[in-house]
Amino acid sequence: MVASYFLSDPSVLLSDLVFGLLLGCVLAVVAHGLNMIWGVVKVVNIAHGEFIMLGAYGAYFLNLYWGIGPLASAVFDAAIGFLVGYAFYYVFLHRELRGKETVSLQSEMVTLVATFGLSLVISTLALIIFSGNVVGIDYDPGTLLLGPVSVPLGGLYVAVVSILIISGTYLFLERTFIGAAIRAYSQDVTATELIGANPAKVASLATALGFAITMAGGALLTVFISVGINPLMGTLYAPISFVIVVMGGPGKMWGSLAGGLTLGIVFDVLQAVATPQIAFATGFLLLIPVLILRPEGILK
Amino acid sequence: MALELRDVDSGYGETQVLRGVSLKCGDGTITVMVGPNGAGKTTTLKTVNGLIRAWSGSIMFGGEDVTRLHAFERVERGMASCPEGRRLFPRLSTETNLRLGAYSKRARDSVDETLQDVYGMFPRLRERAEVRVGRLSGGEQQMVGIGRALMAKPSLVVLDEPSLGLAPKLIGEIFEKIVELKKRGLSVLLVEQNAFQALNIADYAYVLQEGRVVNEGPPSQLMDREELKKAYFSIE
Repeated sequence: MVASYFLSDPSVLLSDLVFGLLLGCVLAVVAHGLNMIWGVVKVVNIAHGEFIMLGAYGAYFLNLYWGIGPLASAVFDAAIGFLVGYAFYYVFLHRELRGKETVSLQSEMVTLVATFGLSLVISTLALIIFSGNVVGIDYDPGTLLLGPVSVPLGGLYVAVVSILIISGTYLFLERTFIGAAIRAYSQDVTATELIGANPAKVASLATALGFAITMAGGALLTVFISVGINPLMGTLYAPISFVIVVMGGPGKMWGSLAGGLTLGIVFDVLQAVATPQIAFATGFLLLIPVLILRPEGILK
Repeated sequence: MALELRDVDSGYGETQVLRGVSLKCGDGTITVMVGPNGAGKTTTLKTVNGLIRAWSGSIMFGGEDVTRLHAFERVERGMASCPEGRRLFPRLSTETNLRLGAYSKRARDSVDETLQDVYGMFPRLRERAEVRVGRLSGGEQQMVGIGRALMAKPSLVVLDEPSLGLAPKLIGEIFEKIVELKKRGLSVLLVEQNAFQALNIADYAYVLQEGRVVNEGPPSQLMDREELKKAYFSIE
């Protein structure tokens, strides 16, 4: 079966590769929000997947009631995510992080358990409110034929927006004063305070940005899962995000894209040749050689 | 008076380090604190710049009580620090490190001007502007540390062991720069293990021992006193 796939028609393989790249871009954005918080504030948000799910439902309801497309919904989701991120920082992280030079093991445990609890609360509430039914958004702007290769336009738009989001955050961190302060914070919290920056302001902004990106990513993701929005989808996309961030290296902005594209291609091609289960398992197994050979991430 | 500590107690967690420390730092002067390891010099500086809170007593800076203010709020009022171990951002370039020094509102608008000023004072840093700070030599890093503090347009600069780990020739250079800060009208509060060299540039000095000020005075008077020698020799 595998051999026949590769031998039969190269355009099929090529189309799958292209689709994998597009999928990789959106997975990158979904992981990018986690990357930001992990890389800067040094906290792993276990409830990350639930905020992707909320972003996806945000897009679903905006479409259902006002007919808004997923791309425009991503902007709404980002705005909501930004506010949610601030609230998240001050409710869950501020108490543990303030006045500390580094995140202690105890604080790490507290935030892990707290965000794990949050993840259970959100997904349970979502099950009650949204019900367990799988829903989707009908959004299909057509297909672009490039010779023998067919490119879904929806996926292409999403990929472009995804790359814009990642390069946007990169430029923000590189080119602005507050962005430089965020990078400074990720390297030395005490020194950041000594240059006159309020560490809580810097860390809460980074968290808010992370949430904005995560929820926007949830909205963009809906284009790829035409029937797949459900209250428990976080349990799939959270581990995918963790793998991507570790692959790319926490705190490396382009790392999200490198990890996302890798997983996108692996998932998509292996799903075509084998089964989705094998595809996901292989994607996660890839982490082992990465951690052994390049523990700091595949990017330099 | 640029800075005045009145009867300050301070420490870490349950451990008290400073016991009733009072000291003054005059406008446009260099004030040096000397004393053996563990005397509380660094703790005094951290209490001054706000990285740790005073347990009791008060800290007046520029005529204002800053005892309860956070470190970043003290920077906004004109106090800049180059802390123990310099605490630079190793993965950022020299120039980004310097620019970040002007983060406070008081300094941000004139960041380009101040940067040229700092480059004028440390021409070597202009050559190394694009290099990651982690790749600089110890002497260059110390220049970035002092330069970053100057970027905040401070009236008082708090320096913790600027000579630490530097070659003797470079130490002389750094001390010259500190004198230059004074010539520009800045006040300097300096902690040094190199006691005699530091006293050479000081206007006034304090000797700390076991968290207390045991002696103070102009360096010329202090140099002869037996206590300083004892304090100094106990470093060995």
